[in-house]
Amino acid sequence: MTALAATSAPSAWWQSRGVRRFMRHRLAIVGLVMIAALTLACVLGPYLLPYDALYIDLRARFSPPLTGSHYLGTDPLGRDLAARLLIAGRISLLVGFFAMLLSTLIGTVIGVVAGYWGGWIGAALMRFVDAFLSFPSIFLLLALAALLEPNPLMITLIIALTSWMEVARIVEAEVRSLRERDFVLAGRMLGLRSMHIMFREILPNAVGPIIVAATLTVARAILLEAYISFLGYGIQPPLPSWGNMLNGAQQYLASAPWLAIIPGIAITMAVTSFNFIGDGLRDALDVRSDHF
Amino acid sequence: MFGYLLNRLWQSIVLLVIVSIIGFAVLNLIPGGPLSQFALTPGMTQEAMDRIAEQMGLNRPLPVQYLDWAWRLVQGDWGTSYRDGQPVLNVIGRHVFATLLLMGTSTAISIAIGTWIGIRGATHRYSLFDYTVTVGAMIALSIPTFWFGLVGIYIFSLKLGWLPAGNMYTIGDGSALNYLRHLIMPSVVLSLVNVAIWSRYMRTATLDVINQDFVKTARAKGLTERRVLMKHVVGNALIPMITLAGMQLPGLLGGALVTETVFTWPGMGRLFLDSLGYNDYPVVMGLLMFSAILVLIGNLIADLVVAAVDPRTRLD
Amino acid sequence: MTDKIRNASTTTRRQALKMMALTGVAGIFAPNLLGKPAFADTPPSKPTGRIVIGFSQEPTVFNPLMPRIEVDDGVHFSLFDALFRIDPEGRFQPALAAEVPTTENGGISKDGLEWRIKLRDDVKWHDGTPFTAEDVKFTLELVVDPNFRSWRTAGHSLVRNITVVSPTELTWQMETAFAPYLSILADTFIVPKHVLEPEQDRNTAPFNNAPIGTGPFKWANRVAGDHLELVANPDYYGEGPYVERLVYKYIPDLTVLYTQFKSGDIDIIGSQYITPDNFDEAKKLPGKVVNLVPSATVECIYLNLGRPQFQDPAVRQAIYAALDKQTIIDALYYGLPTPTESYMPQQSFYYNPDLPKHEYNLERARELLDGAGWKPGSDGIRAKDGVRLSFTNSTTSGNHLREQTQQFIQQSLAEIGIEMSISNLPPAVMWGEYWTKSQFDTVIVGIIFMTGADPDVTSRFHSGAITIKGGRGANNGQYANEEVDTLLEEGGRTFDPEARRAIYNKVQEKIRADLPLLPIFQTVTVRGHKAGIEGIVPNINTRIDTWHAAAYRWKK
Repeated sequence: MTALAATSAPSAWWQSRGVRRFMRHRLAIVGLVMIAALTLACVLGPYLLPYDALYIDLRARFSPPLTGSHYLGTDPLGRDLAARLLIAGRISLLVGFFAMLLSTLIGTVIGVVAGYWGGWIGAALMRFVDAFLSFPSIFLLLALAALLEPNPLMITLIIALTSWMEVARIVEAEVRSLRERDFVLAGRMLGLRSMHIMFREILPNAVGPIIVAATLTVARAILLEAYISFLGYGIQPPLPSWGNMLNGAQQYLASAPWLAIIPGIAITMAVTSFNFIGDGLRDALDVRSDHF
Repeated sequence: MFGYLLNRLWQSIVLLVIVSIIGFAVLNLIPGGPLSQFALTPGMTQEAMDRIAEQMGLNRPLPVQYLDWAWRLVQGDWGTSYRDGQPVLNVIGRHVFATLLLMGTSTAISIAIGTWIGIRGATHRYSLFDYTVTVGAMIALSIPTFWFGLVGIYIFSLKLGWLPAGNMYTIGDGSALNYLRHLIMPSVVLSLVNVAIWSRYMRTATLDVINQDFVKTARAKGLTERRVLMKHVVGNALIPMITLAGMQLPGLLGGALVTETVFTWPGMGRLFLDSLGYNDYPVVMGLLMFSAILVLIGNLIADLVVAAVDPRTRLD
Repeated sequence: MTDKIRNASTTTRRQALKMMALTGVAGIFAPNLLGKPAFADTPPSKPTGRIVIGFSQEPTVFNPLMPRIEVDDGVHFSLFDALFRIDPEGRFQPALAAEVPTTENGGISKDGLEWRIKLRDDVKWHDGTPFTAEDVKFTLELVVDPNFRSWRTAGHSLVRNITVVSPTELTWQMETAFAPYLSILADTFIVPKHVLEPEQDRNTAPFNNAPIGTGPFKWANRVAGDHLELVANPDYYGEGPYVERLVYKYIPDLTVLYTQFKSGDIDIIGSQYITPDNFDEAKKLPGKVVNLVPSATVECIYLNLGRPQFQDPAVRQAIYAALDKQTIIDALYYGLPTPTESYMPQQSFYYNPDLPKHEYNLERARELLDGAGWKPGSDGIRAKDGVRLSFTNSTTSGNHLREQTQQFIQQSLAEIGIEMSISNLPPAVMWGEYWTKSQFDTVIVGIIFMTGADPDVTSRFHSGAITIKGGRGANNGQYANEEVDTLLEEGGRTFDPEARRAIYNKVQEKIRADLPLLPIFQTVTVRGHKAGIEGIVPNINTRIDTWHAAAYRWKK
C-alpha cells in the first residue's frame, strides 16, 4: 500500500462492477471460503481428533502421515501433527487478527490526528511514522521479541507495533484531502467538536482503504509470526504456532519432510486467502492503489 | 530545488536521530549482554565478566553510552564490533558483497521475468495467461520464503542432489560455475516474491501507458502493434519501475535475511542475526543506520524520479 | 545395558593407566608427545595438501587471553602453545616448557609455593623472533593487568615475584598452594612480548586480528562470516605440521554442516559435530570415518536452590525420580549418551563410579512428596505452606533436542503434580544475568565442570562462589554445604593425586546426595572425517576436537 490510495466520491460501491471485478470477486470468494474452512477446522477440529496437541508419545515419534489415526503423522516427540496444526492455527490466526485490529486502531488514530490538525503536530507525527518505516521491520520484531517475553500476547503487540504505519499514512492522506471539503467546513461552522468531526464525519469516508489495508495486514501478520517463530524468537514450545512448527523442521528435513511441508501449506493457504479477500475488497470498495 | 533538498536533508537527519535512539534503547534494554556468550566457558565467573564490562564501558548510564556512540558516528567512527574487535564498517563491508551478489542476481531475474509477464499480462488482459499470473503472483506473495527455501533444499539438495544446500562457494573452488551452483536456489527463492511484485507493477504501468493519447496516435500512424509496444509503451512504462528499484534498495537487509539464514549465505542478513544473537550492539546499530540511510536515499531517489518524469509534481 | 558394561570396563582400565601415569612419572615422557597412534606410513617431509574443518559457530577471538568460546579455542590450539598440554589420558605433557614441574623434579616446592619452569630453547615466534622466558613473564603479568580484558584471573592472581633467571628459565611464588594451577597453565596460551608490549591498548591491538604465535600453523587470512585460513609453520619445534593449509569454515546450521560433510565440501566435521539423529546414516557413508567420542560435558538440570520449592531435599529427590533418563537418552538422543550420576566425566581419574544409581519411578516420586507434606491442591498442583510446586525451566531457544527433552520432562512432572512451564531465551539473554545472577528457577544446560583434567569445582559448588551473595565464582544454583566447602578447600591445596581422588570422590557423593543439580547424561559426540585423514585423536580434556591439528595429515 502506498499513500497514493484515494477513494473516489462517496458513490455506492456496488454500482460499478465489470467482468474484471467479477473475476476478482470470485477470487475473493475462494479466499473467503478457504479462510472460513480453516477457521472452522481450527475451532472444531481439535475436538474431533483422537489426540491432544500436547500429548507426548515417544513410541510414536516421526510417524509419517496416514499412520493409523495420525492423519498427518507425528512430530519428533510423537505428538499428533494434525492436532498440533489446528491448535497452532488458532494461535496464528488469533495473533494475525488481533495484530490487525490493534495496528489498524493505532494507525487510524495517528493518521486522523495528523491529517486533521496538520501543522507541526501532523508533521511530527508523520516524521514518527517515517522513522518507524525506515526501520527494517525484521529488526524491530527480533529486537522486541528478545526484549519481551515471547508469548502470543506479546508477539501480537510486537507485530502490531511494526505494522501500523501504512494505515496511518493512508488515513492521514485521506483525512488531509477531506479536511477542506464542504461537509467538514459546515461541521466546523456548526460548532461541532474536533473529535466529532474527525471520527464521525471524516473517518467514515476513509473506511474503504482502511478495510483493505486491514485485510492485507492480517496476511502480513500471519507471515511475520511465521518468520519470527521460525527464527526462534517467536512463540515458544510446547505451545504450537505455524511458525514454530517449522522452526525445528529444518533439522529433520531429510528424514521427516512432512514436518516442514504441512505447516507451510497451512500458512500459505491462510495468507493467500486474506490476500485474495483484500484484493477483492479493493475492487469492490473502489480503492485505487499501485500495490495490489 | 536546492531548498527542497536542504529541507529533505534536515528531515532525514531528524529521522536518523529518532531511529537511532529507538534502536539503541531497544537493544540495550534486552537483558544479557555481549559477554553472556562466554558465561559457559569453564572457569568463567560473573566477577570476570563484570570487570570486562567495566573495561568496555558497558556499565555507564545508557544516555552516556548513546551520546558517546552518536558523537563518534558523527565523526565517522562507527565503533568496533564486540565480537571480533574489528571496525564496524569493515565488518559490514565484508558482508556486503555476498548480499549484493544474491540481491543483484535475484533482482535481475525478477526484472527480466517480471517485466515480460507484466507486459504480456497488460496486452493480453483477462486472458487465461493474465488470470493465471494474477492468481499465481498473489499465491507467491503468500508463501513464506523460508518455507519455499526448505522445500527447495528438500527436493534439489536432499532428494535429487543437484544443488548445494547452502553456502556461497566450496572452499578451494573459486570458479564462477561453483558460485553459480550455490547461487541458483537462494536467488530463485528470493525472486519468487519479487517477480510477483514486479509483474504486478509492470502490468499496471503498462496499462496506464497503453491508453494514453500518444500511444493511440502511434497506432493511428499505422505502426505495427509490436513496434508501438517496444518503442512507446515499454519505455514509458519502465520509468515508474526505476522508482520501484529505488524503493527496493532498503530491502537489501530485511529482504535477504531469512533467505540468507535458510541457505547459510554469508551476507548482511546473517551478520545481523549473528550480531543480534551475541548482543554485538555496535554492529547491529551499524546495520540499522546503514539500512535506515538506504531507506532515506531510496525514498529520495523515488521522489526525484517521479518529479523528473511527472511534470505535475513540483518539489517545494 | 551393554553400553553400561562396556563403559564400566574401559573406565577401570583407563583409571589404572592414569594412576600409573599420575603417581610419579609425570615428568618423563616418550618422544610421542601427542600420544598418537602409530602411523601406517612415514610422515611426509614437507607439509602438503589442505584440510577444511567445519564449525557451526564462528571463531572471532584470536587473542587467546581474551574471553572466548570453544571454537575460538579450536583455532588457538593451532596458532599458539601453552607451557604444557594435557594428553587424552589426562597427563601433562611439556609444550613450551622443557619439562612438567612436579614436586619430584623440584619444579614445585613441597609446600606448593615455589615454582620453577624450564623452557625449550629451540622455539621461534611466527615472525622469527626467538621465544624466551620474558614472553612467559609478560603473559602471566598481562592476564592480571587491570586494563586488559583477560577472561580468567583465577590462579594467576596468586602468582608473585615472577623472575626471569635465564632466557630458558623462570621462577615465581604462589600466595597460597593451588593445585589446579597446573591445569590453568595448560590452558593459558603464551603471547609474544615483543609484539604486544609496545601496544598502547592491548585490547584493540592489531595482534588480536592477525595473531603471531609459536604454534604449528601461522595466520594467513580471514573472510569474516565465512572462513579462516592458516598455513603450516615450517619452523615448528614439535611434531608436524603435515598439511600445508588448514581452513576453519563457518557453517551456522547443523543440517547444512552435515550435508556439506556428506558431499565432501568439508573434510572434518568439527564442533558441534553430527546430530544424534544422523548417526545411523552417517556411519554408513562411503569414504567417511564416523565415530562416537565422549565429551566432558554433563547434561543436567540446574536447580536454583534460592527458590523455596527447591529447599526441601524431598522435592529434589522426587523430581530426580520422575526423570525418565533412559527414555530421554534412547528416544531423543538415539541411545548415544551415557547416563551418569556425577558431574564429572566418567573417563576422569577422579570419577566416582560407586554413586547410588538413579531409578525412574513415578510412584516413589509421589511417595517422597506425600511424605514431605506436599499435597495436591484443587488445581492438581502440589503445595506446602503456601508454596506451589510450580516453576519455570529455561534453555537456549533453538536447541531442538533440549527443547524436546524439556517438553518430555514437563509431561512426566505433570503426572506427579508438579507444574513446570517452559520459558526459553535467546543465548545472549539466557547466559547473561539470568544465569549468572541466579534469576532462573531451573535450566537445562550442558556444562564442563573440569578445568582441563583438574577436578577442582570450587567455582561451581563452594558457598563462597555464589555471585548474588557477593561471592566470586559461578555457583549459580546457590548450593551451600559446609562439608563440601571444606573438602573443596582441602582439594585445592593437595597435590598428591591419590589424596585428591579421595577428596573429590567424597565431593561427588555429597553432590549426588544433595542433588543441587540433576545429572542426566554425559554427552557423547558424533564426529566424522574423510577416510584419507590420519592423526585425529580425540581428547576429553580439551573442549574442542582440533587440539592437535599439527598431527593431521592426508594418507599418501
